[in-house]
Amino acid sequence: MWAGDSEGKVLYVQTHGITDPGRCATPFFLAASAAAMECEVMIYFTMYGPTLLRKDVIDKIGPKGEQGQPLRYFIEQATGLGVRLLVCQPSLDLNDLRLDELIDGVDMIGGAAFNDLALTADAVISF
Amino acid sequence: MAESPGPAADQVLDCTGLQCPLPVIKTAQAVKAIEVGQVLELLATDPGVEPDMRAWSGRTGNDLLGITRQGEVFHVLIRRAR
Repeated sequence: MWAGDSEGKVLYVQTHGITDPGRCATPFFLAASAAAMECEVMIYFTMYGPTLLRKDVIDKIGPKGEQGQPLRYFIEQATGLGVRLLVCQPSLDLNDLRLDELIDGVDMIGGAAFNDLALTADAVISF
Repeated sequence: MAESPGPAADQVLDCTGLQCPLPVIKTAQAVKAIEVGQVLELLATDPGVEPDMRAWSGRTGNDLLGITRQGEVFHVLIRRAR
């Protein structure tokens, strides 16, 4: 799944969801930084993570509530630099979500694909 | 303000007041927009800019020509190498 044409491959894992907004943005801006360093970057959303990709949520929450940028800003900063977003079906089920309730551009993978990405990444960083 | 040492910049990118990761992201975009061999001067007040730009330059293979600090503002000179 890695294109393999970059010097470094970094896989971030986000397990936290909308109930903990202070943890929602950091994986996106670290991923954006890695992409700006010409790394190939993916973020895998599991456990409660997929809730952060809900279309009806990304304008309503942000890491600092009303004071700062909404979650959409951090997501678009990352995806605009080429960061890819991944979910798996069991974690959609856990949160009673369907793929069409998430923002566009999210890819579905499974456990084997995740483990393969992790085994072939240069770094896996989990939140 | 004193003149910054080193070669004259072909382009200046003002990131003063912006926090991590914006100086890195905007620098990456600005360096792609200049020609190979040209120099970008980044102005930034984020206190992490020095280690960040050393890491970014090393990782991307561009030349970090120097970092100076004048008051609160870091001046970072980067030559696009590839």
